[in-house]
Amino acid sequence: MKKVIMPFVMVVVLAMTPYLAVHYAGLTYLFGVIIPYTAAVVLVLGVLWRLFNWLRRPVPFCIPTTCGQEKSFAWIKHDRIENPTNSLQAGIRVLTEVLFFRSLFRNTKAEWHKDANLAYGSHKWLWLGGLVFHWSLLIIVLRHARFFFVMVPGFVDFLDHADGFFDIILPTFYVTDALALAAVTFLFVRRLSDAKMRILSLPTDYFPLLLIGAIVVVGVLMRYVVRLDIMPVKDQMLRLVNFSFDAPGEIGTLFYVHLFLVSVLAIYFPFSKLMHAGAIFLSPTRNLANNSRIKRHINPWNKDIKFKTYSEYEDDYRDKMKKANLPLEKQ
Amino acid sequence: MKNSKLFWTITIFSFVLFGLFNLFRQGEAETPKVPAPPQVAIDSTKCIAPADSMRANHMQVLYKWRNSSVRTGHRVHVAANGSRFEKSLNTCLGCHDNKLFCFNCHMYANVKPKCWNCHLSPMETP
Repeated sequence: MKKVIMPFVMVVVLAMTPYLAVHYAGLTYLFGVIIPYTAAVVLVLGVLWRLFNWLRRPVPFCIPTTCGQEKSFAWIKHDRIENPTNSLQAGIRVLTEVLFFRSLFRNTKAEWHKDANLAYGSHKWLWLGGLVFHWSLLIIVLRHARFFFVMVPGFVDFLDHADGFFDIILPTFYVTDALALAAVTFLFVRRLSDAKMRILSLPTDYFPLLLIGAIVVVGVLMRYVVRLDIMPVKDQMLRLVNFSFDAPGEIGTLFYVHLFLVSVLAIYFPFSKLMHAGAIFLSPTRNLANNSRIKRHINPWNKDIKFKTYSEYEDDYRDKMKKANLPLEKQ
Repeated sequence: MKNSKLFWTITIFSFVLFGLFNLFRQGEAETPKVPAPPQVAIDSTKCIAPADSMRANHMQVLYKWRNSSVRTGHRVHVAANGSRFEKSLNTCLGCHDNKLFCFNCHMYANVKPKCWNCHLSPMETP
């Protein structure tokens, strides 16, 4: 239980810190300018460093994991996406994995039945919950573009309209807010509800979920409950994207909680499991084409071995072999 | 077996829906259909609160006004200093008669409440 409570306490402390610091000590410059910039620098450099670190590792062997028919005779149907033979097909496989969580769709669950038989069944809840979670977060992040641009890009306006489709309450209720909250709750409860999952789960599994949940909750509070004044927020965000170091105006304290938690997420990102965002593109078991029967893969750091052929051997020992009456291929 | 389950689900669901519908209809019937005429004339000589607090909190004020005037029929706002105003967009726009008064900031912050879905926008008035 400690591994759930510790991350929870950490998130609560992290959320309380800016609240106390801004509300009572007035440290708006620290939480509105210095920490966001630091977080952005850490995020960019950290991600670049992690990606560079992965990219410089050699990938000597052809090791894609496949689950479909390899390209073979013309009359055997080749599964192009599950068993790609060129980089285009491999790219499509990676993209469908990123966009639709293709491999998670095959998720199964094993359980004992009443008659003591082990049965496997399709289990798509994780796939659905994960998909809803990631897509909601993506749309929420894209919607935030309205804080970073004076003229908001057209597709963001479109997303905004689509997201507020139900057109209820004031300000307009966004479906993704509810979906993200529901999905993050599901993903959290999923880890707690099953004994096997509880053993497998680590504090680093709970922490990002709780942190993202807290960010969403604070965002929802700002929008629907407190109805924060948005003008100084936009001023401040425009200043940040223009690399200005001016002090922020009068902004509600909740905004600093939101911004600080996002900064913590950004700093945490490069050093945690959240790097799966970059890793999924770089994992050789997914992004390589399965062409080991078409192309010869040679380990690039194999030393050149000096081979000695039989004819060279015979050249070396011809005289001795002749004396011993051994048969020679070449006289 | 499966069909009868489905049948009962739909039956119970429609009963619940019907019940809820009636519950809310009765609540609706109790509120007066025609709101009482406002007791105060539109006063556009002064604002209901200082400019700074209006800038930061006008959305809360308008949200409360909308709910209380439309749903309970209370159409009079009593300001902190005791002066009375009609809860109406006209109260605001009578004084803030610049056509771009709302839009300047709302365009900048990209905040689009749905006021003008029902009300006449200042941009549409001659």
